[in-house]
Amino acid sequence: MKKIKDERLKLQNLQNLRIVFMVQTLGILAILGYEFIRFGFDKVISDPLWLVFLITGIVNQYLNLTISVDHENSTKNPKNRLAVSLIILGVIAVVIGYFICNTNSYDIVDALISSGIIFISGLIPSIYVYRLRVKRNDE
Amino acid sequence: MINSVKLARLEAGMTQQELADKAEVTRQTISLIEKGEYNPSLNLCLEICYAVNKSLDDLFWIDKERGKNEEN
Repeated sequence: MKKIKDERLKLQNLQNLRIVFMVQTLGILAILGYEFIRFGFDKVISDPLWLVFLITGIVNQYLNLTISVDHENSTKNPKNRLAVSLIILGVIAVVIGYFICNTNSYDIVDALISSGIIFISGLIPSIYVYRLRVKRNDE
Repeated sequence: MINSVKLARLEAGMTQQELADKAEVTRQTISLIEKGEYNPSLNLCLEICYAVNKSLDDLFWIDKERGKNEEN
């Protein structure tokens, strides 16, 4: 197949891909919805399509962060904003850990693991956004 | 977007296909640009200018008032 050099066709191609992505997502949601209704949520999360759906969503959110950062009008220091994000994240992780610890059949180790996972899951996008903000400030 | 691409192309004695080949786009894109139905990127504008030996001003500059009138 010949490589497309025409910018108009490249743009058209991207618009076509957007439609394909929408159809694909609707298809995945329809299959997962059917499985949920027929067999319950356990069947849904055991399906590899669920993993595809989650990964696609995460990648989409990370890509959208670059747009969100460009759209910001704030002139605050990125370091301060990172510190605020980490404090809020830390508080959320501690509160959730506290509730897990006080739940029957869960001990302090479970609480620490859960809090740690929540903290790291929030830490990665926070650092990513921080780096994007620093990069935007330098531009 | 109105422009003088068609006039410049005819002055240069080129067909749409020849201009398209020089600018590395399809003939349909040149046709749409000439009809004002597609707004090319600055890079493509420059490629077209190089192909017909004209400046950006010659081909794409329009007065603000005229541009607004054309849009309406």
